[in-house]
Amino acid sequence: MHEGAIAQSVVEVLRDIKDQNGLLSITSATLKVGAVSGVMIDALLFAFEAIKKEEAFIKDATLNIINVNVKAKCNICNKIYDFDNTDDLVMICTECQMPLTIINGKELEIIDVEGE
Amino acid sequence: MKRVVVEKKILEKNDDIANQIRNLLDKNRIFGLNVMSSPGAGKTTLIEQIVKVLKPKYKIAAVDGDLDTQRDALRISALGIEAVQINTSGTCHLDSSMVQKALDHISLDLDLLIIENVGNLVCPASFYLGTHKNAVLISTPEGDDKVKKYPTMFNVADVVLINKMDIAQFVNFDIEKVENEIKELNPNARIFKVSALKNEGLKPFIDWIETNINLVKNR
Repeated sequence: MHEGAIAQSVVEVLRDIKDQNGLLSITSATLKVGAVSGVMIDALLFAFEAIKKEEAFIKDATLNIINVNVKAKCNICNKIYDFDNTDDLVMICTECQMPLTIINGKELEIIDVEGE
Repeated sequence: MKRVVVEKKILEKNDDIANQIRNLLDKNRIFGLNVMSSPGAGKTTLIEQIVKVLKPKYKIAAVDGDLDTQRDALRISALGIEAVQINTSGTCHLDSSMVQKALDHISLDLDLLIIENVGNLVCPASFYLGTHKNAVLISTPEGDDKVKKYPTMFNVADVVLINKMDIAQFVNFDIEKVENEIKELNPNARIFKVSALKNEGLKPFIDWIETNINLVKNR
């Protein structure tokens, strides 16, 4: 359960964004969370709710989560593979039998913030 | 109401410090290895065996992460190398700032720095520590179904060691299934089948470490 540490990092990044943009409070933030980022979204939201109470500038903030599925590419033939479920991950190109490179699915980013 | 479009990595601060660690390792030509597994998979025993073999030829230090006690660092330092214990007091992984603080206590006249992460197959995978390579252990009594249950961890592995091979037959461990699942999830990862406690099968892995020590040294 490292989502406590991740939620704390979210709060630190939000604090920087607030300061850099002259905001007083943050009302919502949109996060991209990749399927193989290693973060469980419910646990992250739970941890964020707990930290919110301690930090005045995010006391009314909500987190919107965009789930990012794994997308991988063959380095040889450029074929793209989309995996809707991490159970099905096979990182080998069916055409070339070569390893795939992950292009999406590891994200752990804040992409959009609203505040006042 | 103001909308700010940003694109900020949540773990940016961790990554920044990890990059500083990486620069420090590169500058001092030290190969950094992050060792991860569940508790009890045999990380400390494996590190003891590595140190015994490589100590006559190379300068080695270890950083040991655990929630509590100095036990692992004491085991490693008993072999005559420097070992610093990090107690995370509840935190389930090492982050780069913890490692950076530990490095203040270590002489950097080294060839190899081994970081023994907190025993956990989930959380340590999310935190880059600045090491050159990640070694992930799985031990046979944990069961042969673990690889696909922990895709993030096996995805970040550069090498996977299947440990406790000496008892695989007693715990119904299907080695072929595990090897196939590792290859599916991470075809670039090298696989080593070992028994650290019995000191069996370790030579190819130790050769791999030596190759990496020399790669970093001769860069």
